[in-house]
Amino acid sequence: MNKPDILKTLDRSQNGEYCTVKEWDVKRIPRRVSEKLKKYDLIKTSDPENPVNVDGELADRFFKAGYELALELGMLCETTDRIIKVSEEELETAINAAPSELTVGVGEDATVMKARKPSDPYPSKFGASLGITTSEDVWPALTEGIARQQPVDVLEGGSLKSIHGLDVIPSAPSETLVGFEQAKMHVKIREKAGRPGMGGIGQISAVTEYGQFGGYGLPGALNTTDLSLILFPSELKVNYQTLHKVVHTINVGGMIFAGSPAMIGGMPGPPEGAVLSCIACALLQYPILQADVGGGEIYDIRYLSNVNRDGIWALSVTHQALSRNTNLLTHGIANQVSGPGTKELLYETIVGVSTIAASGAAFGTGPRSAGGKLDDYLTPLECRFCAEVSHAASGLPLEKVNDIAKTILPKYETNIKDPNIGQIVHDVYDLETFQPKPEWQKVYDEVKQEAIGLGIPL
Amino acid sequence: MSEIDRLRDAIVEGDEDQAAIAANAALEAGIDPATLIKEAINEPMDKVGKAFQDGDIFLPELIIIGDAARVASDVIVPHISLEDLDASAGGKVVIGTIQGDMHDIGKNIVSAYLTAVGFKIKDLGTDVSPKEFVRAAIDEKADVVAISTLLSTTQPLFANIVKTLEDAGQRDNFFIVVGGGPVTPEWAADIGADGYGRDAGDAADLTKQLLSAGQKPPFDQPLVVGALKQ
Ligand code: B12
Repeated sequence: MNKPDILKTLDRSQNGEYCTVKEWDVKRIPRRVSEKLKKYDLIKTSDPENPVNVDGELADRFFKAGYELALELGMLCETTDRIIKVSEEELETAINAAPSELTVGVGEDATVMKARKPSDPYPSKFGASLGITTSEDVWPALTEGIARQQPVDVLEGGSLKSIHGLDVIPSAPSETLVGFEQAKMHVKIREKAGRPGMGGIGQISAVTEYGQFGGYGLPGALNTTDLSLILFPSELKVNYQTLHKVVHTINVGGMIFAGSPAMIGGMPGPPEGAVLSCIACALLQYPILQADVGGGEIYDIRYLSNVNRDGIWALSVTHQALSRNTNLLTHGIANQVSGPGTKELLYETIVGVSTIAASGAAFGTGPRSAGGKLDDYLTPLECRFCAEVSHAASGLPLEKVNDIAKTILPKYETNIKDPNIGQIVHDVYDLETFQPKPEWQKVYDEVKQEAIGLGIPL
Repeated sequence: MSEIDRLRDAIVEGDEDQAAIAANAALEAGIDPATLIKEAINEPMDKVGKAFQDGDIFLPELIIIGDAARVASDVIVPHISLEDLDASAGGKVVIGTIQGDMHDIGKNIVSAYLTAVGFKIKDLGTDVSPKEFVRAAIDEKADVVAISTLLSTTQPLFANIVKTLEDAGQRDNFFIVVGGGPVTPEWAADIGADGYGRDAGDAADLTKQLLSAGQKPPFDQPLVVGALKQ
């Protein structure tokens, strides 16, 4: 079998130490995190005046503390109330065995992700969009519009609300169905867009493991040159849903793309605590979930975003810590809150995406237009912009990215809690000609010029 | 230090044992139970909620403080005279995240707020099927069923809970309140819920208002709290 170490995870998820979710959430996570913050002198190291960290030594201290945290905590299987712990040897073996280069897709259209260092000129690759819910009539053209954006390296696309007119309902058989039907359309759309070998990410429309069962690794569906998306609950928790997706992906010989955001304001507390939890979580995905590409996601529950100062700082330190100290393929998301047609969406992108790319992430996905909450609030244009910024900002010095963040943040930060949701796709984008409407194009051109002026070589 | 201060401190420290001791001591010292609830629980809890919003305290503290407040109110509420008793006091809420959905952060915050303001909570966790919601509501003799989701595709499952309660002849026994990322007042109206709240503070206000309205469920239109704020 592929990746036989998964057997240890499955065994420990039944026989590991007993711990309830509540004990894990409100006792173990906060206590261990605060111990490590003290031990490594990390308390209040975040600096809102300088949202992008430029201190490599600080990032390395966070890494050491996060590494210890990973070994002391492990992950909790919330279905069984059992802790899945790993030894240092297991962690090291898994980190060393994980790929530091990965080809997604096939042939000329494929993209190669590489482990990077901060300010590494090799571009941080970009997959678009996130699974924003989309009506059935809009989905094919919108997804094709995204695939047609050359800078977008990997295709994810929105989530379908219904399939052949039938509502897609979580855990219901409609999820197994949409898994397959959406994957088939995904493959066709890449061909139609002239990029048949482009890599994909799935399953996205089905929220549970049934999507993977239906649409990943089957003939005609997403295949093993595409990434299998496996998200799991924060902080440091997995469940049967996650583990089913992992086992299925291993069964078919696919690539595991895992992730779970650490929550600022949540169980690990302040931004510094979330960074530690995030590093531990990123590392543990390799031994426990056998990840190929792993997360470094951060979310601030006070802002329902991460493009605020604390969020940006936490993203920068986390990705610097991971990229300076490992050769793993790490992934980040900038959580925009503004919607299509607005300048703010593009400003949030500049700050969030450039921070992740320049801090050393191998891969980014997005955008989360309008916070990802509204049906059909997504256009191919912001997908393009995210990918352009990701590539262009990769090699920038961190000092420069910090300066850019300091200049751009004041243009949107007061609106984060009350964002401009912008416009629905039809109002700002023509899905027949695959062109933005003039007003949206104009906003894009203006902000792009501004970004170039600030030193992002777009 | 006054008995009220002692209780308030125990709650803000999140110390359940001390909260119970201090609540009993305050009652023995003859302090009016309604005053105790107001000054030692409700007022500090408002401050705690604000501190959480401002990032001065974090989710674990919020949950622990909420638990201590619940212990204290369990001691105090039976001593409140009927005319002083807020009709919502001690109401029981069954809460969970709907089937297929594992997003639990928002639900946990709502649960902590409801606990803190004195409701008895049965938290069913995540991935709760309509059938489990209905079963738990009946078995627990709940007053309120609170459903959370972050996934748009779960709307038919919300409708299913309402319909199942109707079909079981049980709809008028429970207030149904809904919230979470994609949920809107229109969503609440479409599925026939009794209330919508935008955030955790709203969830607490909403639940209190529903239980003290002197009207039985179902409502023709959902009571909406916080729709206009972002
Ligand atoms: C964190 C997160 C995750 C984590 C969850 C971790 C956890 N333990 O909860 C993980 C990584 C597991 C995850 C997985 C997925 N996610 Co997710 N996730 C998010 C994210 C980034 C933040 C959610 C969050 O925690 N917010 C913070 C809390 C505090 O806010 P809240 O939940 O809204 O709660 C507040 C209020 O809504 C209210 N409230 C909440 N519940 C209730 C209940 C009542 C009764 C009341 C009155 C009020 C109320 O009070 C709360 C406190 O103020 C959102 C993005 C976003 N913009 O929301 C996406 C998001 C919700 N996820 C999304 C998706 C698609 C998924 C996946 C399906 C992706 C996939 N294909 O694998 C999976 C689903 C897995 C599953 N089966 O559930 C989409 C949903 C799109 C949609 N509209 O349907 C979003 C919007 C992302 C996007 N597309 O941009 N996700």
